[in-house]
Amino acid sequence: MGFGDLKSAAGLRVLNDFLADKSYIEGYVPSQADIAVFEAIAAPPPADLYHALRWYNHIKSYEKQKASLPGVKKALAKYGPADVEDTTGAATDNKNDDDIDLFGSDDEEESEEAKKLREERLAQYESKKSKKPAVVAKSSILLDVKPWDDETDMAKLEECVRSIQADGLVWGSSKLVPVGYGIKKLQIQCVVEDDKVGTDMLEERITAFEDYVQSMDVAAFNKI
Amino acid sequence: GLEELALLERLLGLPKGNKYGVQGERKVPVLQTNDGLGLTGLMTIAAHLVKQAKKDQLLGSTAEEKAVVQQWLEYRVTRVDGGSSKEDTRIILKDLNVHLEDKVYLAGNIFTLADILMYYGLHHVMVELTVQEKEKYLNVSRWFNHIQHYPGVRQHLSNVVFIKNTLYTNAD
Repeated sequence: MGFGDLKSAAGLRVLNDFLADKSYIEGYVPSQADIAVFEAIAAPPPADLYHALRWYNHIKSYEKQKASLPGVKKALAKYGPADVEDTTGAATDNKNDDDIDLFGSDDEEESEEAKKLREERLAQYESKKSKKPAVVAKSSILLDVKPWDDETDMAKLEECVRSIQADGLVWGSSKLVPVGYGIKKLQIQCVVEDDKVGTDMLEERITAFEDYVQSMDVAAFNKI
Repeated sequence: GLEELALLERLLGLPKGNKYGVQGERKVPVLQTNDGLGLTGLMTIAAHLVKQAKKDQLLGSTAEEKAVVQQWLEYRVTRVDGGSSKEDTRIILKDLNVHLEDKVYLAGNIFTLADILMYYGLHHVMVELTVQEKEKYLNVSRWFNHIQHYPGVRQHLSNVVFIKNTLYTNAD
């Protein structure tokens, strides 16, 4: 887990996407998880990453209570989306005299910084050791799901399709495309890990919703 | 009205003892307190219960927070309870989505009565939203999911499920 390099724009984008539907890094209350990530960020996120900015300003309001927030501060690699690594380098983590340390007092700075550096280096080493040897092969698939007739509830049909969960399957955007006689087919995107999810399995599970689905076809299949 | 006040009393940890009634065609709640006080109106009674429970911070601490809390209480009664057409609902969700873009709670960084009563008032709307609508009003979904997990708020109301289905794009 992790957010990539939180000191870079790309890392902040990962954080922003992660926080779009969440108030906190973990759970539903502010915790040491939020403090850990907060302290890894150099400055308030830019205005266009408004989820990250909302979270940042909110956590900043807990400045005085940060020590008493629940949980234990862990390495950055323990937080965030499952399929992203933490690459926030200890190398760029300069103890710059000009840096405004929002939370720490001067006395604490020495040991806390050293401790954080050590934790982050450990996490990096751990993640490098366990890194997968090959890049995971993924494909982007566009599926056409056809209902029985024009009276089929397409919203329910879509909910059924999206309720299909599997390791290595992520649902994307969708739209309804008219095919004549008032009937609309559901065109929905998904990204799959090739060795975990195949179109056969998808077809089996989608057509299992017999009440709504008449048939399913693969409209497009692209390797990512 | 009355059911909501019962939920609120439980959330606030108030002992039983308040007597309620309704008034008129629109069934406006009325509270008869132990000391003989008669109060009318959902928001008025709710605010009184908060004070009874000595949890005044739920009404806001700064002048600005108090004003924002009042704003959303008024919004709840005039817009959410008042209008109920599909178009009205769409406008409410749009208003809320914009307001919540940079806030965790309705009043900013603190949990208040505004969050509680807007949650109760909107529950029947959120339950009916499709996956796409929940994604469209992303900030409302985030806020609603947060409030329903706040200790003591949801009680026997159903849990509304929010699944994030956006295509995950790899960081550069």
